[in-house]
Amino acid sequence: MKKAEGVIILWSLLLFTPHAKGTSYSLPGKPTLTNCRSPEKETFTCWWEPGSDGGLPTTYRLFYRKENSDTVHECPDYRTGGKNSCFFNKNDTSIWVNYNITVVATNARGRTFSDPVDIDVVYIVKPNPPEKVTVNTTWDKSLPYLRVSWEPPHKADTRSGWITLIYELRIKMEGDDEWEEHPAGQQRVFNIYSLRSGGTYLVQVRCRPDHGFWSEWSDSACIEVPDYFHQEKSMWILILIFSVFILIILIWVIHMNSHTLKRFILPPVPGPKIKGFDKQLLKNGKSRDVFSSLVGSDFPPTTTNYEDLLVEYLEVYVPEEQELMPEESKVPHKSSYQSETSTSDCDSGRGSCDSHTLLVDKSEEDKTMGQQSTQQGGQTERDLKRPEESSEEKYLTYSHQLDQPDSPDCLFPPGPLSSHFSPPGHKPVLGSNYQEFSFGNTQPHALHHQTGTHQYLQDYSDINNANKEAPAGFRLASVRSTEYVEVQRVKNDNMVLLHPVSSDPEQGGPERRHTEDYSKVKGVNNDNGLLLLQRKGSDKEMDICSYEDQQMSEPVDSGYTASIAAALQKTPAYVHPATQILDERAAGGYVDTSIFPLPTY
Amino acid sequence: MCLSVFVSNKFLNIFCDKHDASSVLQWAVWALFLWPCLLIVSNPLDCREDSGSLTHCPSISREKLLDRVIHHAELIYRVSEELCTLFEDMFIPFPLRLQSNQAGYACITKALPIPSSKSEIEQISDNWLLQSVLMLVQSWIEPLVYLQMALDRYDHAPEVLINKTKWVSEKIMSLEQGVFVLIKKMLDEGMMTTAYSDPGVLQNGVQPEELESIMKDYTLLSCFKKDAHKMETFLKLLKCRQSDKYNCA
Repeated sequence: MKKAEGVIILWSLLLFTPHAKGTSYSLPGKPTLTNCRSPEKETFTCWWEPGSDGGLPTTYRLFYRKENSDTVHECPDYRTGGKNSCFFNKNDTSIWVNYNITVVATNARGRTFSDPVDIDVVYIVKPNPPEKVTVNTTWDKSLPYLRVSWEPPHKADTRSGWITLIYELRIKMEGDDEWEEHPAGQQRVFNIYSLRSGGTYLVQVRCRPDHGFWSEWSDSACIEVPDYFHQEKSMWILILIFSVFILIILIWVIHMNSHTLKRFILPPVPGPKIKGFDKQLLKNGKSRDVFSSLVGSDFPPTTTNYEDLLVEYLEVYVPEEQELMPEESKVPHKSSYQSETSTSDCDSGRGSCDSHTLLVDKSEEDKTMGQQSTQQGGQTERDLKRPEESSEEKYLTYSHQLDQPDSPDCLFPPGPLSSHFSPPGHKPVLGSNYQEFSFGNTQPHALHHQTGTHQYLQDYSDINNANKEAPAGFRLASVRSTEYVEVQRVKNDNMVLLHPVSSDPEQGGPERRHTEDYSKVKGVNNDNGLLLLQRKGSDKEMDICSYEDQQMSEPVDSGYTASIAAALQKTPAYVHPATQILDERAAGGYVDTSIFPLPTY
Repeated sequence: MCLSVFVSNKFLNIFCDKHDASSVLQWAVWALFLWPCLLIVSNPLDCREDSGSLTHCPSISREKLLDRVIHHAELIYRVSEELCTLFEDMFIPFPLRLQSNQAGYACITKALPIPSSKSEIEQISDNWLLQSVLMLVQSWIEPLVYLQMALDRYDHAPEVLINKTKWVSEKIMSLEQGVFVLIKKMLDEGMMTTAYSDPGVLQNGVQPEELESIMKDYTLLSCFKKDAHKMETFLKLLKCRQSDKYNCA
């Protein structure tokens, strides 16, 4: 019993030992025919893939059967095609005949059949790659190109036309990744243009039959393109450089002439064309200069006879002793130019002071005039001083020629009047005119002796010169010894009768009066009023300076003057403009308050 | 003349381009415009009727005619290949897709005395090559007509399949004419012997009523495809056998 159990165990062990080894014998795995190919349509080769061998040595055999024939043939050649292949030579190959091919794997355990495959040789043609691929560099008008040539695979019978091959080549530069493919048809030669100078190229060719598979690519043919210079490109580069150069020149020329061009395209707006008008002067200079340049020589007339200007004199002539026909003098008023001109020009018509008749008379007394002139000059000097001293006061003095008390008295007022002498209508340019006049007549003192006219003119000029210093032009530095005219009486509102007062020309200054009865005219205010000074009741002569001081402080004593003083205190030296008489008849700066009626305020 | 115009237009439009539906349509348009020429070209007897003896048609040279015939044959082969693929995809289940007719149906042209190997082809003369081509072409005219009718009976035959079949059947006839003219030319030029087999000898063993199953149709298409390839090959061989102008090397 125990032995049987042991035998059983032993047999079971023996049975299971092979399994315990790990290998199991089985049928071989099923092989598979991978592909069959014919390189030239005359022979073909089939390859198969073996399956598992089942642990036992397995043999593979290929059997085939042609169509419409039941005869099974075995592969004639297992070695030519390599391992697991079957090669059919020419004799065994029939064209346009279907082959039924099967591979059988056999081992000790059994056989395994593969799936059958039907093939027709004409449909499985895959030629060998083309051979003898050569590349040459050829020159065409100094431009190189590659000439690629090859041969069909030697096995393929293209000569008889049995196989018609179509070729294709590809080219790339050394180092590139992508090929450039070119179909070549049935030709054996191909040209490649547009090469890079100095580059290295690789060329490959392949072929296929008209109904078949592409062959493998042939071996690469390497070629190096020589360096060449593309003349056409260089020509274009030259043209480009030249055109750029011309463009630069054009731009420079335009830039240089940009102003001209701008003016040509956009012409400037014409400016005003006024003769003598200088725009620059207007921008830079003073308006005075501009207008002076505008002003032609014609305007204002400078060559006028200055003598004509001296028309407006205070002409007083005494046809009788008692009567004086005062002429309206154009006493200059500060702001009364208008009033001056508004007053009627009551020229007596007997000739102005500067008329020839007068001048002729005066010329007779040159000598005395000379003396007088000197005196006048001295006085002038003194008088000149006065404005400096009495800057605040303005004296309106009359001065006339000392030498002719008998003459139809032409009291021509001093310079201030001359300041009037503006030709009617030319007031604004009086200043300049005045100056011109004065300049024009600035003759040296040597002319004094010549004619009375000159003297007059000289006086005038002196006066004018003196007046130039003064602002407003009519602060008259009374440049001469003055002979005073005393207001005799007031005739009407507009007339004042004057009579000359004999005065010693030796005496200087404007005082020599009975200072009691006179009030000195302080000045002329703007409103056609005379500013009278408060005087103190002293009848001694005084200098003006001291007089001035006194004027300020001392009250007026006399009754009349008191009234006036009251008035004066009110408004110092203010005279009602109604009494224009006073304005115009400032006789020596004094106004005899005794004569005047009470000024009406 | 009319023949040259028709042939040139037809052949160039079709042979030179890849065959597809557009080219078929194009050929149809040309055919429509040149239908009078069709009457002339379709009857190769015109050349014979000019005179009692066999006269050649002078309108086209032999080389060019051969080239055009070859192009025609190439086109027919391509269409037949497409037909087979279409039919196979449509009607044949995968396990049965075998190139050979396992069902045992032999190709109808099996019986023809046609060389079947390269060695045989090298031995026969040009004459026989051309005769073989002619035999092949003539043997397939009727089966293609039958095939065309058979496809119409199918329930789900695609339009493309039917059109291509129709086109091929028409084309094969024109190919026949072309080959015939070519033979005439070669005979006139003394390159062929007068002795050639009577085309009527060829017996088409296929009875139309036998070919009923799909497999039969499929077999038919496969056989046609093969024979088209044969025709093409023969013609190309013939071309290279001609004068040295052909650069077949």
